[in-house]
Amino acid sequence: MAAKPRVAIFDFTGCEGCELNQLNFENQLLDMLEHVDIVEWREAMDDRPGEYDIAFVEGSLSTPDCIKRINEIRRRAKVLVAVGACAVQGGINGMKNTQPIEEVREEVYGKDKYLFPTLPALPLSAVVKVDVNVRGCPMTQMEFLKVFTALVMGKKPVEPTSAVCVECKLKENECVYEKGMICLGPVTRGGCDAHCPSFGQYCTGCRGMVPEPNLKAMEEILVKHGLSVNEAWKRLHLYNTHELEGLKS
Amino acid sequence: MKLNELVPQQDPVDLYLPVMSEIRDVRPLTDLETLYTVALPDGRDLGHQPGQFVEVSLFGVGEAPFSISSSPTRKGVFELGIRKVGLLTEKLAELKPGDKVGIRGPFGHGIPVEKFRGKDVLIVAGGIGLVPMRSMINYVLDRRDEFGRLIICYGSRSDKELLFTDEMESWRRDPGVDFHVTVDRGSPEWEGNTGVITTLIPGLELDLGKTVCCVCGPPVMYRFVLLALKSRGLPDKSIYMSLERRMKCGVGKCGHCQINHSYVCQDGPVYHYPDLKSLEEAL
Amino acid sequence: MELKFLASDRVEAFVSYIMQKKTVYAPQRAGKHSVALKKVADPGAVVLDYARTMQSVKKFFLPPRDELLQFNLADQSFAPAEVKPLDAVLLGIHSYDRAAIDRLDYNFSQGHAERNYLTRREGVVWVGVSFEPDEFHFSGSVGIRPHDTEGFDVFLTRARDGYLVEVLTNAGRELTAGFDLPATDQAKPQPGHFHQHIFLPQAKLNEVMGASYNNPVWEETAEKCVGCGSCNIVCPTCYCFNVEENVDIKVSGGTRERIWDGCMLREFTEVAGGEVFRGGLAERQRHRVMRKFKYLSDKTGHPWCVGCGRCTAYCTAGISIVSIVNRCISDYEKHAATAV
Repeated sequence: MAAKPRVAIFDFTGCEGCELNQLNFENQLLDMLEHVDIVEWREAMDDRPGEYDIAFVEGSLSTPDCIKRINEIRRRAKVLVAVGACAVQGGINGMKNTQPIEEVREEVYGKDKYLFPTLPALPLSAVVKVDVNVRGCPMTQMEFLKVFTALVMGKKPVEPTSAVCVECKLKENECVYEKGMICLGPVTRGGCDAHCPSFGQYCTGCRGMVPEPNLKAMEEILVKHGLSVNEAWKRLHLYNTHELEGLKS
Repeated sequence: MKLNELVPQQDPVDLYLPVMSEIRDVRPLTDLETLYTVALPDGRDLGHQPGQFVEVSLFGVGEAPFSISSSPTRKGVFELGIRKVGLLTEKLAELKPGDKVGIRGPFGHGIPVEKFRGKDVLIVAGGIGLVPMRSMINYVLDRRDEFGRLIICYGSRSDKELLFTDEMESWRRDPGVDFHVTVDRGSPEWEGNTGVITTLIPGLELDLGKTVCCVCGPPVMYRFVLLALKSRGLPDKSIYMSLERRMKCGVGKCGHCQINHSYVCQDGPVYHYPDLKSLEEAL
Repeated sequence: MELKFLASDRVEAFVSYIMQKKTVYAPQRAGKHSVALKKVADPGAVVLDYARTMQSVKKFFLPPRDELLQFNLADQSFAPAEVKPLDAVLLGIHSYDRAAIDRLDYNFSQGHAERNYLTRREGVVWVGVSFEPDEFHFSGSVGIRPHDTEGFDVFLTRARDGYLVEVLTNAGRELTAGFDLPATDQAKPQPGHFHQHIFLPQAKLNEVMGASYNNPVWEETAEKCVGCGSCNIVCPTCYCFNVEENVDIKVSGGTRERIWDGCMLREFTEVAGGEVFRGGLAERQRHRVMRKFKYLSDKTGHPWCVGCGRCTAYCTAGISIVSIVNRCISDYEKHAATAV
């Protein structure tokens, strides 16, 4: 048998919820470790060896040092996997991108701001080539396991692209719009098994927008249901600022 | 008529179970394409027509349709010429002789060879379209006296991407074959024709009343080849075309390959051109 | 046909009675405003007076996720999925949903007869119930009325204080035998009126839709459509599926499964190498509607839409298939009038 793939796990700017979620695979963790050697995982161990077959990276890039590190990781990894909304789309951190960067810096670091250089929060893909995305805030365990087994088998995992609506309809969830709430499901990528609508919540758009989103049609949907377009757009920015800024320009 | 009266009663079958078959040979054709020789269990023949396809699968990876590249006249094994473009094909490229793949099929309507019998056979193949057309070419070559002239037009993006170059040499030397090849962009060593495939058509020697043509290539190619054939005066009824679509199940169930009212996996992939005119989305 | 009477206050007893004979699936509350077909555990939970379920009975014969085979990666062996007849009573089904199953039966029998679907179809006793058309139903326009009993073993028509019961087949007699259903001389009430209509019968629609290929309605609809595919997923006659491999975490084996797919989704026509044959939402909308009113009806003489209204009722953007078809009809007639 071929040598086990060498896996490294890194984090950038984020809440580390995705990484914690990886440690939560109580039942599967030992099976997973059968297939791979974990060579770098700050959350779990503390040594610094060399090259890796698969790098799982969490968090967005928000300092000059992040850019340097991600380039280094890319150089050393055969397959780079972005894990979670921050790494994939820039995530919540991206909200700062619409405000003047100096104001943000001052607000956060106060008089010590000069010690902390900062950049607009970027998804990994804005700086390096990303091979696989595991979406969501936080990433879902089921999906991570799917991606993991695919990579262990040496194949590229398939990324779901259809809207959350598909999964709601499969589960016969009552439409969130019928409940009078704004839902970003129609323009948000599924693959989460419509987790939030299934539990009575609305979709927050954490998995990023579907490819070629028809935002004009989305606006009409909101108007038709008597809901605030402004509020919906604010919510869409929560996870998708980077992409929406890109659409604008 | 009621819907249930439209369908003859027949015993249901397991449509999605593959026959585990053995890879006998793996031969690289270019950097991207590989020719696989496959044997069904117990020396069974595939029993296909030129132009038909099989569904090939690897457990845990997936299943996809591939046209059969060998002629049914060559018994015992069959060949698949496969380009590395996605998940399944990348894993197929790692296979070695002795490895197993799942096979379902053959499926679809291939080239109606009886319509070509006694006629001059014109093959127009672009790029990987040569893969299914090679089945017909070798069929004609193996039953040489049943057909008239064999004219082959083959176009490729570059000379580095030409497929079956060894066989091309034998077609070139065969006095019974009128073989033409062109590349969109040739390397400095390339001494042959340069230009898109349609540039080959005006110069062909054709007996219009006696020629039947089969076209296969990338989607963008068809309109232009049709125009070129038309300007030569080849009647529509003498043209057959093999179409590519996403054929997931191969048996007219999953809906992916539908073009207007036609399922490519059942009515195609080889269509008589006059039948395609009612399918707005076909070309 | 002899009519019997099932009083409203005896429905629960009737459901309990048939539950002793077979598993029963019936509409039950699924949310504040919605009803879904589910296995009956509590006879009192069955809802016979409802507009529509989000998913039709299709889900029992063609489950959203349907295992095709199980494989072992070590020795490359496989075993076919175990498929069992549904062998149950489907209670409280509307005529359009029964008609949809005729269409699925056709699809899974024509050409190659498929074991997976046809095995599940076995052993079903159909108990229908009439419906009151709401703002979305238009099955009358495709020849399916609220009181149609075709394909049912037992049919319940809503009447004053209960249901008129028609026992139509031997399977129906077997199911109801032993339960006291008194004869009644009540006449079957007139079916309710539809509020939505397609303005031409299917026989004419083939021609109209054939001439509507370049109608601007496809582009106009595309502007309002987010391409979420809900219309496909809730349609009782949509049967398209994709096939997926699932590998277990030990990477020792797994399953090949089919999952529902929809022609409104972008990847539906994508082939390896990235070519998408219906890239735009307008082309996809056209395919969806043509498939119901032309492509499959050209082949079979039957419209592939049963008028349940789901695609419209569950479209967040409010795209109406009836409006699209009627627009094609009026443009066709306008054109015909000016051509004369």
